[in-house]
Amino acid sequence: MSDERRDLIGDCVHCGFCLPTCPTYVLWGEEMDSPRGRIQLMLQQTEGEPLTPAMTGHFDACLGCMACVTACPSGVQYDKLITETRAMVEQVRPPAGRALRAAVFALFPYRRRLEAAKAPLVGYRWMGSPFRRNLPATVRTLLDLAPAPRRSVRLPAVVPALGRRRARVGMLTGCVQQAFFPGVNAATARVLAAEGCEVVIPPEQGCCGALSRHSGRTAEADKFSADLDRVFADVDALVVNAAGCGSSLKEHGELASRTRDLSEFLVELGPVAPRHPVPVTAAYHDACHLGHAQGVRAQPRALLRAVPGLDLREIPDAEICCGSAGIWNVLNPGPAAELGDRKARDVLSTGASLLVTANPGCLMQIAAAVRRAGASIRLAHTAEVLDASIRGVRP
Amino acid sequence: MTVVDEIAGVPAAAVAEPASTAEVADVVRGAAADELALVVRGAGTRQDWALPPQRLDLIVDLGGVCGLVEHAAGDLVAIVRAGTPLREVQEALRPAGQQLALDEPLPGATVGGTVAVNASGPRRMLYGTVRDLLIGVTVVRADGVVAKAGGKVVKNVAGYDLGKLVAGSYGTLGVITECAFRLHPLPAAARYVSAPAAGPDEAGRAVASVLAAQVVPSALEVDMAAGEGPLTVTALVEGVPAGVDRRAADLRKLLGEETEQAESPPPCWGTYPWAPGDVGIKLTCALSRVPYLLTAAGVTARLHDVPVRVRGSAGTGVLYAGLPGDTDPGVVAGVISDLRAATRAGAGHCVVLTAPPPVRTRVDVWGHVDGLDLMRRVKEQFDPAGTLAPGRFVGGI
Amino acid sequence: MSIGALATAMHSRLAEDQIITDRARLRTYECDGLAHYRVVPGIVLLPRTAEECAAVVRACVAHGVPFVARGSGTGLSGGALPHADGALIVTSQLRAIREVAPQDERAVLEPGVINLQVSKAAAPHGYYYAPDPSSQQICSIGGNVAENSGGAHCLKYGFTANHVTGVQIVTPDGELVRLGGRAPDAPGYDLLGAFVGSEGTLGIATEVTVRLVRLPETVRTLLAAFTGTDAAGAATSAIIAAGVVPAAVEMMDALAIEAAEAAVHCGYPAGAGAVLIVELDGPAAEVEAQFAAVEEFCRAHGAFEIRIAADDAERALFWKGRKSAFAAVGRISPDYIVQDGVIPRTALPQVLTRIGELAREHGVRVANVFHAGDGNLHPLVLFDEAVAGQAERAETVSGAILDICVEHGGSITGEHGVGVDKAKHMPRMYTEADLDTMQLLRCAFDPRGLANPGKVFPTPRLCGEVPGRRKGPNPWHDAGVEVF
Repeated sequence: MSDERRDLIGDCVHCGFCLPTCPTYVLWGEEMDSPRGRIQLMLQQTEGEPLTPAMTGHFDACLGCMACVTACPSGVQYDKLITETRAMVEQVRPPAGRALRAAVFALFPYRRRLEAAKAPLVGYRWMGSPFRRNLPATVRTLLDLAPAPRRSVRLPAVVPALGRRRARVGMLTGCVQQAFFPGVNAATARVLAAEGCEVVIPPEQGCCGALSRHSGRTAEADKFSADLDRVFADVDALVVNAAGCGSSLKEHGELASRTRDLSEFLVELGPVAPRHPVPVTAAYHDACHLGHAQGVRAQPRALLRAVPGLDLREIPDAEICCGSAGIWNVLNPGPAAELGDRKARDVLSTGASLLVTANPGCLMQIAAAVRRAGASIRLAHTAEVLDASIRGVRP
Repeated sequence: MTVVDEIAGVPAAAVAEPASTAEVADVVRGAAADELALVVRGAGTRQDWALPPQRLDLIVDLGGVCGLVEHAAGDLVAIVRAGTPLREVQEALRPAGQQLALDEPLPGATVGGTVAVNASGPRRMLYGTVRDLLIGVTVVRADGVVAKAGGKVVKNVAGYDLGKLVAGSYGTLGVITECAFRLHPLPAAARYVSAPAAGPDEAGRAVASVLAAQVVPSALEVDMAAGEGPLTVTALVEGVPAGVDRRAADLRKLLGEETEQAESPPPCWGTYPWAPGDVGIKLTCALSRVPYLLTAAGVTARLHDVPVRVRGSAGTGVLYAGLPGDTDPGVVAGVISDLRAATRAGAGHCVVLTAPPPVRTRVDVWGHVDGLDLMRRVKEQFDPAGTLAPGRFVGGI
Repeated sequence: MSIGALATAMHSRLAEDQIITDRARLRTYECDGLAHYRVVPGIVLLPRTAEECAAVVRACVAHGVPFVARGSGTGLSGGALPHADGALIVTSQLRAIREVAPQDERAVLEPGVINLQVSKAAAPHGYYYAPDPSSQQICSIGGNVAENSGGAHCLKYGFTANHVTGVQIVTPDGELVRLGGRAPDAPGYDLLGAFVGSEGTLGIATEVTVRLVRLPETVRTLLAAFTGTDAAGAATSAIIAAGVVPAAVEMMDALAIEAAEAAVHCGYPAGAGAVLIVELDGPAAEVEAQFAAVEEFCRAHGAFEIRIAADDAERALFWKGRKSAFAAVGRISPDYIVQDGVIPRTALPQVLTRIGELAREHGVRVANVFHAGDGNLHPLVLFDEAVAGQAERAETVSGAILDICVEHGGSITGEHGVGVDKAKHMPRMYTEADLDTMQLLRCAFDPRGLANPGKVFPTPRLCGEVPGRRKGPNPWHDAGVEVF
């Protein structure tokens, strides 16, 4: 066991400030399902205790939302700790536990496989609920979460800047984003172009590796990010519109220093394209991997507030994860639904008619929960709102 | 035995007049040796309160244990001997622009007596009661051992807060000889704003409107004349002159055109609505039930055809009711029964503080007490021989 | 005493996931916020109702097992340190806000409810819960009751004891008893007042009724930077002497500022040897008049920079530095002790000088954070356990600071409680007779000594014969008195 790991664990002074921001503590109120408790379990492991199934269960239950990192006054690097721990857990995981995870990892990071998986969704949407109930919970969750399939949008390899070229940027299209929210990518490209960017969108780009990394599959993740480094070798910045991808890219590989979240990049660049009114009451939801992991909270709000006619509302208990958390909601359907329901309730309490966020996972999760609550709210990515404002159309 | 004095009609064989905590300890230790029953007396303003002692040998008069021990003006703290009249304490503090923020419903009362019965007045709304202001206490135990709890700093969580335990214990747990209090600055300005109300509901609305506003009164009192007569709602605001002007103006807006303002308190302010020898009752309830309690008092007065006067802190839910001392004990019992039902419905209590002997023997003066079993166990620990004011307190403690 | 038998008994009363017996999970409960005391509990039980909590205590009594209550586990005196052969009863799943009743200025809460959640729930009605410990975002109301928690705003508004009007408790016999309630001044002994701050030695609160306070019309906050703590202390004295009762007066010295800066980037004025945060609240007209005076006092006593919070966001930033100061010290020192002592406020300059001397003599650094308004000091003694002898020296300095507090007529704890950490210091403040008298109360509640044993008192008192249930008839009832 490395001294460094022991030091990282030693940084925790046991103050408990992380507890109220931890989704699993909020759900269950148990120490071992809180960051402070998990760090204690990690300490036991550094002291030579074996990784028992009981322990790994508590590590697996962590959503990796990193709200605790934001909350921690002592600067404990829980993100680092849990990532290392997950890698250790993967090594001792019994074969039975691997099957579902393997199935998920065979699907998500590969866009063409995701595209193919969309077809059965059409059928699922026509199934009556008695049929739905017969499906395993995990599969049902997966299907419930998926938005109505949309036709793919093929993006050109290069989108030229409108007006004077101010930057040459790469654009990450992402696996889930491109498969389920192709409109977001199109909007992102249009907004960037309108703000004077030449947008490079190599069709051969693959997955950023975030899902694999956040689940302890380090080797797989490293391979994905190395591929991206090669593809985006010659751009000023790599602009990412999916929070999970952005946070992972900022931590690993050669692209780390050049990676920017879309909102972060646009605020740094400054606007040139005129905005048209979008008269709507909107609530902005901080995706964990944007707010907690990247510290990007002010920028999207600033961009939205700059849209004429848009009334921006804050969501209560904004720091609590919506329960999406990469593939956590697929692996833990029950608790994820509970977290989703809490978030839906908080979102609906703002009275907003439009929910804006910057992560496809959150959009799917909250949309499903709002549907369960029998309510409705329109959903949009920040890029789509900006695109609508610049183009002068309704989002 | 030679009767030299009495407490609530019960004769005592001797009166001790110690002049210090050490002397009190000597007296109590001596009494304990012979298992003599003793009752403490301060100024004697409330000797007819609660129940008479079941037995009494010795009165311990604390009039000689008096004076200010320390006034740390910069720390807003004072230590006072128990036998000191409250008024003397205030006079000693006034030059420093400070006060012990306790009202004095019965003039002449001592510090120790006020603590022992947990007496409070209108300004409890802002400053709290004895339990909120007492930061340290010296007590002589039933066995004569001197013990202190708390200290002379406002903030202190070391050990149990025995000050709260003895506050309101009617001398049944020990003899309080010294008290340390948190002080408050004397306000630069004060204003009493009064308005009439046609009935309990209107008074209730006035009270609710003041509570919901931002005037932060130091007191919010209601006074209902006997026979459901006219009511008066009075708010006291204290502070800097400009602030008091503004808040008084706000109160005027809330309470209507007929308000009267004064710099000194209206008549009867902060006094109990009864005279010596009358029946005095304390009524408490959840804040929102004050109008209901006033109505119930009016109804029961009419029903039993007795004048019931009610006065008290509408801003905290602590009211006092008075009945003439010559009311038939059976009628008093009926009134108490009604009031007790009303306070119970309002999540509060109805306690007969004082009453003539024929009434006291007829009614359960304390009413229902939660945690009585625990209280008995506390008494057993502090006074196993039962020599301190036996029988005066709840459940025959 | 047998944990095994208790566990078996509990399986028939609680669900599987409310009982923790495996060592890895038990160890996550081995300490509270004071992490250098660690004891693995024999069993952890997580009741979800008051009745379950009472059943757990009754089972403990039946099996002679000591029990310790724990809320969020944020206490700083080791009050929730488990007993190795005992049960740890965790109230974190008893967390419903039963009622918010603004018309009665009350809220009814389960003990696991988080302090800050109460204010959040009351805010839409224009009310809040005043006691605000620095850990208010996570500490539980049940824990606040046990410790009589304070906070920055207690200067004006008082402590937990002044804001709790009723509790339902499980007595150490396992009985559910109500003390106090929604109305003030319940008849009988003020057992509620004695219970608040009894650190889990008199029972476990299962429901708490608190007073809600009207949100103030105006809140004005200023941050004043001074060259040193003496000047800041003098400014504080001047404010208090003028008859101003601020909602809060908080002071931090240079080292504490450095830590807070490192942790939360609060942007306090550069080069400050001390900062003072002064907050006034109340009716606008009062606050405006007094705020001007406060500003003037700060300037007159040498404040070289005064910032006035322009909005809630800036106010929050002022407070963020202060409220995260304890944990933030972790950024500038590998190890540290958070001390909690009280002195008469006017003794501040002498005491700070003495603390400075002590630190130099023993070669450790001390950062000071305090509630300057009421003289509650929080010296943070910094050390590095890896350096031989430093931990012992830090411990010495920390203990000596308490001696200084007692010498000046103060207290060994203003808000963190005695717990396991300061039980040994109690005889410095109280005589044997004082402590013996306090324990009379404990014997009345807990003659078997099963509720949080080993805390608060340096030595337990023998309670003599354990009384049975004695619910004797009221003698007045026998006397033919009419009872209603």
